[in-house]
Amino acid sequence: MSALLQINDLRVTFRTRYGEVTALDSVSLHVNAGETLGVVGESGCGKSITALSVMGLIPQPPGKIAGGEILLNGEDLTKVSEARMRGLRGSEVAMIFQEPMTSLNPVFTVGDQIAEAIMLHQKVSADQAMKDAIALLDRVGIPSPDRRARDFPHQLSGGMRQRVMIAMAVSCRPKVLIADEPTTALDVTVQAQIFDLLNEIQRDFGAAIVLITHDMGAISEMADRVAVMYAGRVIEDASADDVLDMPLHPYARGLINCIPNLGRDDDSLAEIPGVVPPLHLLGAGCAFADRCAHKAPRCAVEKPLLINHGHHPAACHAVEEGRL
Amino acid sequence: MSEQDILNAGAESPALEAWRMFRRNIPALFGVVMLTVIVAATLYGTFFYSGDPFEIVWAPHEVPGATPEFPLGTDYLGRNIVAGMLTGGGPTLAVGAAAAAITMVIGIALGALAGYYGGWVDNLLMRITEFFQVLPALLFAMVLVTLLDPTLTTIAFAIGVVSWPQTARLTRAEFLKIKELEYVTAARAIGARNKRIIWRVILPNAMPPLIVSATLTIGVAILFEAGLSFLGLGDPNTMSWGLMIGANRDYILDAWWPVTFPGVAIFCTVFAVSLIGDGLNDAFNPKLRER
Repeated sequence: MSALLQINDLRVTFRTRYGEVTALDSVSLHVNAGETLGVVGESGCGKSITALSVMGLIPQPPGKIAGGEILLNGEDLTKVSEARMRGLRGSEVAMIFQEPMTSLNPVFTVGDQIAEAIMLHQKVSADQAMKDAIALLDRVGIPSPDRRARDFPHQLSGGMRQRVMIAMAVSCRPKVLIADEPTTALDVTVQAQIFDLLNEIQRDFGAAIVLITHDMGAISEMADRVAVMYAGRVIEDASADDVLDMPLHPYARGLINCIPNLGRDDDSLAEIPGVVPPLHLLGAGCAFADRCAHKAPRCAVEKPLLINHGHHPAACHAVEEGRL
Repeated sequence: MSEQDILNAGAESPALEAWRMFRRNIPALFGVVMLTVIVAATLYGTFFYSGDPFEIVWAPHEVPGATPEFPLGTDYLGRNIVAGMLTGGGPTLAVGAAAAAITMVIGIALGALAGYYGGWVDNLLMRITEFFQVLPALLFAMVLVTLLDPTLTTIAFAIGVVSWPQTARLTRAEFLKIKELEYVTAARAIGARNKRIIWRVILPNAMPPLIVSATLTIGVAILFEAGLSFLGLGDPNTMSWGLMIGANRDYILDAWWPVTFPGVAIFCTVFAVSLIGDGLNDAFNPKLRER
C-alpha cells in the first residue's frame, strides 16, 4: 500500500563548527489520507527538521538532505526542482507554525495575507480572493470575519491568530497539513479549541495531518498513529492507543509517565533523568543509553534498529531481548 | 468585546499609529511647517520677483534694507539677493530630493539582494559597497561632475552615486534580521517566490528605518549640492543657494550678506528635514523614546 506521504530512510545533515552533524538518521514515516500522525519527542530530537524537510525549507547550506526519499503521492520531494516545490507548498503541503504571534506579517491585514495565499495558487481576482478569505475566517470560527479581515495581526489574540494561520494553511486545500506545535504558545482552553478546529478541518477537507508536539495530551486527543522520535531517529511507531497504553521503548514509557494523572494517588511526577545528548556527541550506540535504566553493555556499542519485536516496532535492545 | 478588543481599542495600521505619534511631536511638526514655508517660497516666490536672478540690477554690495526694492541687498555684481534666494531654492531642493531618491533606489536594491541571498551575492555586493565607501565622497562627486558636465541632473546623479553605500548597508542589516523571522518562513511555506518575499514581505517591514534614513539623506544631499556649488562645480547656468555662496565667498569680509542669507536658507532647510527625520524615527520606534 502506498501512503499519501511516505518518508523513507531520510537522512539530513548540517554543517556546523563541530563538523558534519546528522540531524535526522534514517527516519521513516508515513501518513495516509484523512489520518493524523503524531510526532512526539523532546526539544532537539528532529521533529521540526522533519517538518521542514517535507516542506523543502531546510536551509541549504548548512543543511543537506544526505539520503532517503520523501514521497508525496509517489513524487520524491527531495528530487523535485525548486519551482515545482514552490508550486506544491501551500497547495499540496501546508504548515502551521508554533508561534502565531510571529508567523503573520505585521504590516498587512490578515484578510490581505490570506487572500495573497489564495492568489498564489489559484487564478482568481483580488475581490474573489478576499471573499474567499472572509469565508475561510468564518470557517475557522472567527466572529464577524468581514470586520476581522481588516484587522492587523497585533489586533488579534493568540488563539485568533492561530485560527488565521490555519485558515491560511488550508486556503488551497492541501492534502498534507503539518502542524508544528500549533498550541504550545496558547492557553490551555484555547488549545482544546484549536484541536477541535483541526479535527473539523480534517473532516471537511480530508487532509492528512502531521501533528508535531511534545504534549502527550495532544496526542491522545488528536492522533491516530504516533511516531516517537529521539535524537534524530524514530524509536517507536504504533497506533496512538498502543503507544499510550503499552509503550515499549524506555523513552516512550518515560514520556507517558510524565503525564500528570489526576486519579493517581502519589503526587510525584516521574521524570526522565538527563537531557537529549548534543547531536555532534552521538556515539555508535543507542542515543538514549546514558539516560536509560535498562542499559546493557550492548547498548553502548550497537545502534538498535526499528524492528517489530512482537506488538509494534520499537528500536531498543532491551525490548528485543525480552528484558523489558 | 473580548479583553484583546479592549486592549486594542483604537489600534490601527502600523502606518496610522506612526502618524499619530508623529502628530504629537512638536519639533517634527515645526520642521514640517518650516519646510512647507521654504518649499512654498521657492515655488511661488517668483510671482513676486519675476526676472532673471543673474541680471545686474543695482550697484554691487548694496546693504540690506538700504533700498526698499532690494530688502536683502545685492551681491558683488549688483544682482538682487532676494531674487537669487527665491529662484535658487528650487534647484537646491530638487537636487537634494533627486539625489536622495537615487541613493535610496541603488541602496535598497543592492542591500536587499545582498541581505536576502547572502553567500557569494552578498560577498560581491558588499565588496563593491566597500569600494565606494572608501572613496572620499566629495572628491569622487567632484570627479564625476567634472567628467559629466555640471547640470542639475548630473549633480544629482553624482551625489546619489557616492551616497548609496550607507543605505545599502542599512537595508542589508534589516534584511539579515528580518529574513530569519518566522513570518518569512511562513510566507515561503505557502509557496511565495523570492521576489515576492523580498518586496512584499521583508521590504515593507524594513521600511521604517529606511524612511528615516531617506529623509536624512535629503538633508545631506542638499549640503552636498551646496558644497559642490561652493567649490565652483555646480551648474553655472542655474541659480542655487550653493552657487550664491560660492560666487560671493571671496568678498565675505567686505559684505557678509550675500553669503549669509543663502547659508541661513540651507541651514533652515537641512534643520527642518532633520527634525522631520527625527520625528519619523520616534514615530516608528516609540519605545526608544523612553530611554
